[in-house]
Formats: sequence, structure tokens, C-alpha cells
Amino acid sequence: MDTIRIQNNDFDLAQEYQLLRGLSATVGGVVTFSGLVRDFERESSIESLSLQHYPGMTENLLQEIIDQANARWNLIGITIIHRVGRLLPTDQIVFVGVASEHRGEGFTAAQFLMDYLKAKATFWKQVSQDGKQFWVDSKSSDADAAASWESNEG
Amino acid sequence: MIQLLFFGRLGELAKGVPTMVAAQTPAEIRRLLAVDFPMLGMALSEPQVLVSVNKMIVDWDEPLSEGNEVAFLPPVTGG
Repeated sequence: MDTIRIQNNDFDLAQEYQLLRGLSATVGGVVTFSGLVRDFERESSIESLSLQHYPGMTENLLQEIIDQANARWNLIGITIIHRVGRLLPTDQIVFVGVASEHRGEGFTAAQFLMDYLKAKATFWKQVSQDGKQFWVDSKSSDADAAASWESNEG
Repeated sequence: MIQLLFFGRLGELAKGVPTMVAAQTPAEIRRLLAVDFPMLGMALSEPQVLVSVNKMIVDWDEPLSEGNEVAFLPPVTGG
């Protein structure tokens, strides 16, 4: 069973883990990734981060990414949570969890999901720093990480 | 009429831009906007900017229909 949530509220890592763990008695492992708001952008501290997204399209894109992961690997459940709105340094921002029978598929699928999420899902970060706001530039390394999966059939 | 949406830094460049236009393709919208909003026109011409129609990524010469929602999407930075 797969879950997509886009929300202002924080998420609870233990709760998300238990939901994936409880999906089936065939679950042999749960891989989780939590992304945090780094207090560091353009070589200095930030005040806050504001996350914008395109409602409707973001959910469609995340579903496509989940469908691709399910087509590549034998997975039991995937959860993707992404927060939007105003966040502070050290806040949790993104969660990806994968339940699978075997660890190899879980680790690989979790990395694939994060790489694709970063390169394709319609989120935009705006940083507040020294009383000014600016939009974060995309990194070519993120596009490269996603592109590396195109030539790698898993 | 076509409804327009601008995300990320494009949203700031699009302040004061009409939210509804008549046009046949996203490329035509871009040309029309560039006349009165040259900064926005330049930003929309950057190769990394994508365009969607009704929440699906499309080519710039995709034919538009009455009531379509066209969104201009700068490179994403989530995660």
C-alpha cells in the first residue's frame, strides 16, 4: 500500500515506520529517509524556509514516481510525505519510507524515490536570510542523480 | 480563455500579469507576455523552464483549448 501526503504539519518517524512495518507479515525490512532543513545556504545561516508546490500536479508526479519504483522493484509499501509552508532550520521536511521483503530492494528504491522527487516533483524552496528572501537554485547534481537511473534499469 | 499560473521565482516576475489570456499555444502566451513584461519573457525562455497544461508537462507548441490551465514551472527544488 502506498501513501502520498503533502502537509504543513510535522510527521512522526516512529508512526510512519510502524505503519509500513504493519502492512504485511512478509515485510522483511523498512528503509526510511528523513530530510531536514539545513541551516546553511550560500555559505551562511538562514532564518526560515518557505516551501511552495503545485497542488494536484505534485500528487500526480509523486504517484508516477511511486508507480515507476513499483514497476522496477518488488515492494510492499511506499510512503512519501513532503511538508510545505514555512519551516525552520532543523525541521523535518521530507520523508520517504519503503517496506520490502529484502533490504536490497528497499535501499535502492528509497534512493530512487528521493532522486526522482528532488528532480521532478513540483516543489520550490524560498529562503529567508538576513531579512531578505530568495528562491533556491536547482542543483545540476540533483538532475544528474535522477538521470543516472534512466540508463540503469535497476 | 486560458488560465495562467506562475511558480517559484516566476511568480515574482509575473506580478501584475493578467491571469487569463486568449492564445493557441504556450509559446504564443510566452510571446504575448514578453511584449509587456520583458523580464518575465526572458525568464520563460530559459531552457530549464517547463510548461504544463492541466497539470501535465507538455511541449511549448501544444495546442490549447478553452478553459485550459497553463502553468510555468522553474526548475524544482524540493526534497
